[in-house]
Amino acid sequence: MTAGLRSLGRLWRFDRGLLLAYGLAALFLLGFVVAPLVRVALEPSAADWRQVLTTPRWQRAALNTLVTVGLSTTSSLLLGTAFAFAVTRARVPGARLFSVVPLFLLLTPPFVSGLAFVLLLGRRGLLTYHLLGLETSVYGLHGVWLAQTLSFFPVAYLVLRGAFLAVDPTLEQAARGLGADRGQVLRSVTLPLVTPALLAAALFIAIGVLGDFGNPMLVGGRFQVLATAVYTQLTGWASFGTSAALGLVLLVPAVALFAAQQAVQAATRQRFATVGGRGAGLPAPAVAGWLRWSLFALCVLVTLFVLASQGVVFVGALTRLWGVDLAFTLEHARYAFGQVGGLGNSLRFASLAALLCTALSLLVAYLVQRGGVPARRGLDLATLLPAAVPGTLLGVAFVLAFNGPPLRLTGTGLIIVVAMAISYLPVGYRICAAAIEQLRPALDDSAANLGASKLRALLTVTAPLLRPALAATFVFAFVQAVGTLSTVIFLVSFDTPLASVTILNLAEQGSWGRAAALASALVLVTVAALALLYLVAGRSVRLWGFSRAGG
Amino acid sequence: MSLVGLRKAFGATPAVDDLTLHVPRGSFTTLLGPSGCGKTTALRLVGGFLEPDAGRVLIGGVDQVGRPPNLRGVGMVFQDYALFPHLSVRANLEYGLRMQRVERALRAERVARAVALLGLAGLEGRYPHELSGGQQQRVALGRVLVLEPEVLLMDEPFSSLDAQLRLRLRAELKALQRELGVTTIYVTHDQEEALSLSDQVVVMDRGRVQQVDSPEGVYLRPANRFVAEFVGQANLLPVQVTATGSAAPAGGLTLTALGRPLSARLPDERRPEPGARGLAMVRPEHVVLLTDDVPPPAGGWRAAATVRARSFHGGFERYWVELPGVTEPWLVDVPLGPSLGGTTPASGRPAPGASVSIALPAFAASWLW
Ligand SMILES: Nc1ncnc2c1ncn2[C@@H]1O[C@H](COP(=O)(O)OP(=O)(O)O)[C@@H](O)[C@H]1O
Ligand SMILES: [Mg+2]
Repeated sequence: MTAGLRSLGRLWRFDRGLLLAYGLAALFLLGFVVAPLVRVALEPSAADWRQVLTTPRWQRAALNTLVTVGLSTTSSLLLGTAFAFAVTRARVPGARLFSVVPLFLLLTPPFVSGLAFVLLLGRRGLLTYHLLGLETSVYGLHGVWLAQTLSFFPVAYLVLRGAFLAVDPTLEQAARGLGADRGQVLRSVTLPLVTPALLAAALFIAIGVLGDFGNPMLVGGRFQVLATAVYTQLTGWASFGTSAALGLVLLVPAVALFAAQQAVQAATRQRFATVGGRGAGLPAPAVAGWLRWSLFALCVLVTLFVLASQGVVFVGALTRLWGVDLAFTLEHARYAFGQVGGLGNSLRFASLAALLCTALSLLVAYLVQRGGVPARRGLDLATLLPAAVPGTLLGVAFVLAFNGPPLRLTGTGLIIVVAMAISYLPVGYRICAAAIEQLRPALDDSAANLGASKLRALLTVTAPLLRPALAATFVFAFVQAVGTLSTVIFLVSFDTPLASVTILNLAEQGSWGRAAALASALVLVTVAALALLYLVAGRSVRLWGFSRAGG
Repeated sequence: MSLVGLRKAFGATPAVDDLTLHVPRGSFTTLLGPSGCGKTTALRLVGGFLEPDAGRVLIGGVDQVGRPPNLRGVGMVFQDYALFPHLSVRANLEYGLRMQRVERALRAERVARAVALLGLAGLEGRYPHELSGGQQQRVALGRVLVLEPEVLLMDEPFSSLDAQLRLRLRAELKALQRELGVTTIYVTHDQEEALSLSDQVVVMDRGRVQQVDSPEGVYLRPANRFVAEFVGQANLLPVQVTATGSAAPAGGLTLTALGRPLSARLPDERRPEPGARGLAMVRPEHVVLLTDDVPPPAGGWRAAATVRARSFHGGFERYWVELPGVTEPWLVDVPLGPSLGGTTPASGRPAPGASVSIALPAFAASWLW
């Protein structure tokens, strides 16, 4: 405590700029992360809790949620890991081509997968109805599971690709030399070394699925999960108590996963980071032929499916009435580009949020690692906390916390921007923290020795050196924010429409053509915005550089 | 164990070219050469981590080419140790035994023996990042030795350790290798390490073997100029052959250098033709420095020279001297005894600029191919 006061005193005397930044960051985290969560936790009354825990419909929704999360996380991890292994270790033919397929999928909002599912496999689906003449549909658990797998496996792929690339092939060769066969090398060396990354991906995906309701809404049919229940409870019945309680139920598995992942990371981080790894130019041992070709087949299959699912949305955008009249039309496209407000808001809010998220990530990472400020552990936890909060719950918390004094923000764009920024803060923070760890402290010290204050050192030395990490943070936050639904659906208003929310509403009304057209437009403007950024910021933007820091 | 005509190219230039070598059972053989000469590649070919473009790797008369590394009975210690960071010291040591499904009791026994042998007691529960460089090195060695390999391969195992530790581990390794009698191929670019450890030294340059000989052999009778200059310091002398074969002393030949007769050693069985011109080499500590006022000993080879520079090296003093008719200055190392100035020169140490004579005892020079 006294040590903390002393360091504050030192900052006050010598580094007021940094102290101010520290104060602002702490205030922001308290006001926009901690306070809303406390607020939502206090909302439900005992009666609300009793109702939520005893109503069979919601018990079923809870069970459905668990099943969906379990299945989707497992299948996303398996698929993402297999894909990453195929392109980094198995060296399948066309690996370079396959390596961008999941990235392409990451550029499109997750609910596009759901939309594609309906268009391909729905009651009037292209594949099921028109080609196969089936009357069945994917609505229900199967559909949700498949759509979530398609939406989330690219995350697993990215994180695992980075992890596989970080494994020094010499270790695998050493294992071979010590008598391990190819399967044993995989089981005893490669997989254990990527386990922390696997867990990090699992956490991200599980909490993403837990809080996501775009896909359950689109392809769930009568299959209800907690996220959709929270939404209907809040928007349909305006029942804050029960929706808060339902959201808080989501927090239980989320926090458990979060704690488990943090514990594993703490236990393995140092062990894995500091040993070996000069990578002596030795290639990893070749994998068995049958495995290589199975993985190749998997890559081809997934690629075809991705192309079909994304293509069908574009086709749907140019089709008069999906399932009934497949004639070509530009009517929906005209509609979509008429939605300038929504599209513009999506881009504007997402870029502001990405900026805010990047600045905060850098600041907090620097403060925690190099700032010499008190309460670093608290700062660290508050920044990581949103990683354990499903988007739906965060939405409810924001509605509750900023609906009245002291801070009335509902209906403004600001609340949307802040909510988006907070959602991606943990990932951005991890990216920046990992990058700062790579920088030698001697750089900071020499800046200080040459007369720079800590804040100046951060701005003039650290930040420029971290450009790739900052760009990665920005791009990640931007792309995710453009397509997000779960949190912002509670926060949009008549004055602040968002393309993603409009798309969901259109799809719910059965306006498939318009929904598909607007989704296509959103994808196109996102890609255009990134291309522009690429042109302006040039080579420091390594689009998916964050994969290496992803663990 | 033998390597026969091994060749491996990356792209157009071969990293290892026509490597033929016999490694006697139980011997300590060192591949010595500058960085990039193909030592690591050669070792990986033996270990099976790379497949050769041509040639054979014979262990106990059986060709190993095409066999995966886990079936070769060859243990390799990697340059950066390649310890498994997710496994404890014990688990690292046990790893190979587990892969071979060795039963528990035997496993424990072998690991215990390795722990005792390598002085790792008390560290079994630690993880690699909690070990010092020297300890990591010992685990890497122990991990291979518990498998009792027929052949032990080591790639610059001490290169990332400090000088003191390197000396100590070198002595330990030599003793250990003697005790276990395991056939060892060791790679280094450090000539002192190669000379002090090996039974047999293989000097390599740009993928090709330059000489295979005992440490004394490569030092005193280098095959060619590359070996002479890479293994220690070499003074070069232009010479012409006067007599070889039965006319010359056994194992040597007679030359003319700077107009005077000189006897020299030969590196191998080849004999140059009388009348051939070439180079001979002399090691700095084999040159005798004489100041002008001391009469030269009768017989032997000598020449006039001028001192250009002088430096103090603790155990000896090094002089740079210029010989008329020789382009590169010679190095002369004069040992320093208890009385400063030592045995030679008797009348004080010549300063830069002084005129001196240098003399060579019989067979101080060696013919270079
Ligand atoms: N995997 C590889 N790919 C391409 N070139 C290589 C590879 N490994 C080694 N080389 C080249 O082969 C030559 C010999 O390398 P190496 O065996 O590592 O030398 P050393 O161990 O003696 O320093 C070098 O020129 C090096 O650049
Ligand atoms: Mg090498």
